Amino acid sequence: MSTRETPFERRLARLPARLRPRDAQQPGSGRQWRIETLVLILVGLLLTIATVNDVVLGTHVNHRLSADLRTWRAYTGHDFKNVSTEQDIYHHTTIDFVCGNTVPGPPKERVQICLELTGPVVNGRRAAHGGWYLPAKREDLRRYRYGCFGTTKAKGQCAR
Amino acid sequence: MNVAAQSELPLARTRPAQWAPALAAACALLILAATAEVVFDGAVGHSILIPKSPEIAGWLNGIGERLGYRVFLIAVLAFSAGYAGLIALGRSVSKRWAITLIAVLHVLVFIGPILLSTDVFSYIAYARMGVEHGLNPYTHGPIAITQDPIYHYVGHDWKKVETAYGPLYTLISYPFGLLGVNGAIWGMKVVAMLSSAGTLALTWRCARARELNPVTALLLVGANPLYVIYALGGAHNDLLMMLLMMVAVTLTFARRDASAAATVVAGALVKATVAALLPFMILARRSRKQMLGALGALVLGAAIAYVVFGVDGVNIVAALNRDAAFVSSDSFATEIAHLVGKPGVFPIDHDLLKAALVVIVLHLMWRTWRGYDWVAASGWALLAISVTSTWLLAWYILWPLPLAVISRDRRLLVATLTLQGLFIAHQLTPLFAPVS
Repeated sequence: MSTRETPFERRLARLPARLRPRDAQQPGSGRQWRIETLVLILVGLLLTIATVNDVVLGTHVNHRLSADLRTWRAYTGHDFKNVSTEQDIYHHTTIDFVCGNTVPGPPKERVQICLELTGPVVNGRRAAHGGWYLPAKREDLRRYRYGCFGTTKAKGQCAR
Repeated sequence: MNVAAQSELPLARTRPAQWAPALAAACALLILAATAEVVFDGAVGHSILIPKSPEIAGWLNGIGERLGYRVFLIAVLAFSAGYAGLIALGRSVSKRWAITLIAVLHVLVFIGPILLSTDVFSYIAYARMGVEHGLNPYTHGPIAITQDPIYHYVGHDWKKVETAYGPLYTLISYPFGLLGVNGAIWGMKVVAMLSSAGTLALTWRCARARELNPVTALLLVGANPLYVIYALGGAHNDLLMMLLMMVAVTLTFARRDASAAATVVAGALVKATVAALLPFMILARRSRKQMLGALGALVLGAAIAYVVFGVDGVNIVAALNRDAAFVSSDSFATEIAHLVGKPGVFPIDHDLLKAALVVIVLHLMWRTWRGYDWVAASGWALLAISVTSTWLLAWYILWPLPLAVISRDRRLLVATLTLQGLFIAHQLTPLFAPVS
């Protein structure tokens, strides 16, 4: 209990003992300390597992993206660095769409070709079963896509 | 002795082994080398880690190579290893060597480029909006000044966003807006460095007041990899907020309750997060002067903010609510969402996290009322804010560090450093699987 004698403190002193404020912890609060420590350890474990899981997930995704880029370069014959990759983050699939210029030029400043890449990484590459074209200076939105081929044509992923 | 008291012991004084000073020196050299690598490589220019910036460190160009993920992450890991070693050997490090190491780290980062973040360019953009263009940064984003030279350096995500910083910080930053872009960057760097120096000096003082080893306390904060590379390297205003936080703690230790509470409010008018200290300070001291000090500072600050910025400058809650909706891939909330198979954080998760934070803060307030160390409670609250936030950046996990270092509960320090370690670990993906 506080040794300060203000009117407010005197009023607080009238509270039941278990509700009164203290200036320091009382000896014997070990049980609470142990419970708190246990909760902290459990939270720490959860965060550690979540972090490791995220790093592993990220590593797998990066591994797949590298294969996607290699595949796009192999199919198109262009060794461009600025090739964009879009993942299917909404449906948890490993289908990626990789877009890049059809002729040399600044990123997205030329007609682009997009490939739909699926399946496992085999010999550092993945399978391309379809794709579409995009006009220059356009984002990969359905309304801009044209010339769908392969599986994307069957799925109606082009507006025209 | 009860278990709670065991975690409150000051660091035991033991005689350091003969090899310890040599090993500590090696750790210090590792930290310096890692920092130099990041600074000199960063000075080469824009990369995936270095934001587009006016050439303020051009004279360092030519020493390093363009900074990529691999070199950066290896440097951060080396820095972290050196830091861990230095802390373990803290009692072997003399006061003079600790101060020298931290001073050299500060100078190295000061002379280098802006690292890892475009935030400082947003600070300058808001300042220039006010003093050069007559615009209110609480009602306009930097997109309102597209013709200003600073606009091109503002981060893409922040171009349309009004300032979320407190009115006191906005007013402090206004004079820098008059210095031109380069002058403003150097001004912001000076503010960051002086704030850091002040924070470290007060951490030292508070550690001594609590009979803790001040050298270890100084090293824990000043040689921390996130503190040096991210906070100081990016010239973040969190350092100014942390300075005001430590001023408030120092004043409370000196029983100057009114000034301490007023300083917390001033800190909150820089960056609102530091307001988390106020309930714990009040519950621990239970002084009328605190209430008056806090209320006086709040009324004065709000009046000035209203006069200068109008009602939008006073309504910091709206800005905080807007920022609380942001989601970053580094946040623990996002990581847990991925763990349970969700693609990310949903609105219901925001509500659950806010509820968890309220429960934690109420528990801490009750514990403080019943005699728990208010400094530790404040640190736990700041740590809980960063863990439950869906928008987590490296410098957010630094907020509780100075408090953890001087708190009477060593668990807080362990928890803070563990979370920092997890944050760094989460950055390592490009090291294991680079995308090329």
